[in-house]
Amino acid sequence: MRKTKLYMDTVVDIQVVTGKSNQAAAEKINQAFQAFYQVEQACSRFSPSSELMRACQNVGTPVEISPFFFEPLHFAIEMARMTEGLFDPTVGKVMEKNGFNRHYLTGDRMDSPAADSVSYQDIVMDRQPRTLLLKKPLVIDLGAVAKGFAIDLAAQELKEFDGFLINAGGDLFAGGLDFYGQPWKIGIQHPFQKDQLIDTVEITNQAICTSGSYERRNPAIADLHHIVNPKTKQSPNQWVSVSVMAPFAMMADAFSTSSFLLGGEKGKQLIEDANLQGIWITPELQLVRTGGI
Amino acid sequence: MKKMDKKWVLLCSTAIAAVYAAGYYTTETQAADGQPKPYMANFVQSNSPTSTHTDVTSRQTQSRYKDGTYTGMGMNRRGSIEVQVTIKNDQITDVEISDFAMHYSERDVVGLPEEVLQNQSPQVQNVSGATYSTEAFQDAVQEALNQAQNA
Repeated sequence: MRKTKLYMDTVVDIQVVTGKSNQAAAEKINQAFQAFYQVEQACSRFSPSSELMRACQNVGTPVEISPFFFEPLHFAIEMARMTEGLFDPTVGKVMEKNGFNRHYLTGDRMDSPAADSVSYQDIVMDRQPRTLLLKKPLVIDLGAVAKGFAIDLAAQELKEFDGFLINAGGDLFAGGLDFYGQPWKIGIQHPFQKDQLIDTVEITNQAICTSGSYERRNPAIADLHHIVNPKTKQSPNQWVSVSVMAPFAMMADAFSTSSFLLGGEKGKQLIEDANLQGIWITPELQLVRTGGI
Repeated sequence: MKKMDKKWVLLCSTAIAAVYAAGYYTTETQAADGQPKPYMANFVQSNSPTSTHTDVTSRQTQSRYKDGTYTGMGMNRRGSIEVQVTIKNDQITDVEISDFAMHYSERDVVGLPEEVLQNQSPQVQNVSGATYSTEAFQDAVQEALNQAQNA
């Protein structure tokens, strides 16, 4: 049983391995897709009606927010602290200015107010009650965590199946075993040859996320793509691709992005310190692996 | 097995638990009954025509689209695509790809360098890579939206 839908400007594909009826599986798959719908409604910076964009209109006063927005933002801020702001969820306005401002379905473009200099330290969060306070006008970008979070929530809905696979545009969670009763085989996209793989891994009950410079390039400025260093406002290009495996997709997503931003040895060290597995690809197509894979 | 960085694992499981504790999919029966889930209800309400009057971002009171499910067709380099777009209260609530397959055909594997071929089998259909966009689907989605457009 397999279904494919669009969410968060990417293609979300869900497959389940089951002996149950197709109808029962279809219902569960639809419920799993709801996780993507909910997280997108909460966390999109491309829609004025999202919880995120509505919250960004309030500066200086705490606003109560749902866990669909609170949790990924909280995770992103923890990551910002660890990387000392290299990974920073307040990079939204920089992204807008770089041309990443268009809603993928309606085509509407965003132009939001924001202060010139902002950082994650301009965000104050409180858990009881769940509130967010912005010290300055800014645009929150959860591009490196929200999709992972939606994958993790969707996985919760599918865990009763013998096997399932959620693929959100190249970020995946593989549960149980595949249609042959084997661990899921996941190819790693070749950075320069669209239809080819550069490596393969086998995973079960794990997520794998890849950050790369070869998709979503800036149409106007060469060397700029969808991952931007908030300090230099440039895109790092030391690695062309970083894949990270972790027990949660939100974790794999945030760590692969952070490793990509850090670049070089530091980027590798980050993954090793967290005891995660990773595969890096250099611009010369050299593969570097850690974590015993 | 190496030990995982516990802090991050804990953050992730807390995040999932928080969503469930807040009443998202409280019980399976409730979800199956099609009862509104708390945050969805909240969202739909805030976008209903009555409340958009007070919404600073709204430019007009007339809705942009008609409710319903619309089919759109498009082409990309792998062939034809069909999408079904569902609209409710002016919101695109669902875009399903009804006819499309992302796959690696035999043709794609031929011509791979020897060392790459060693590492893979032709049945590898799931690929991790930098997030690709929905550009290839834009024409099909647009065609569906055109049908939904209010005059």
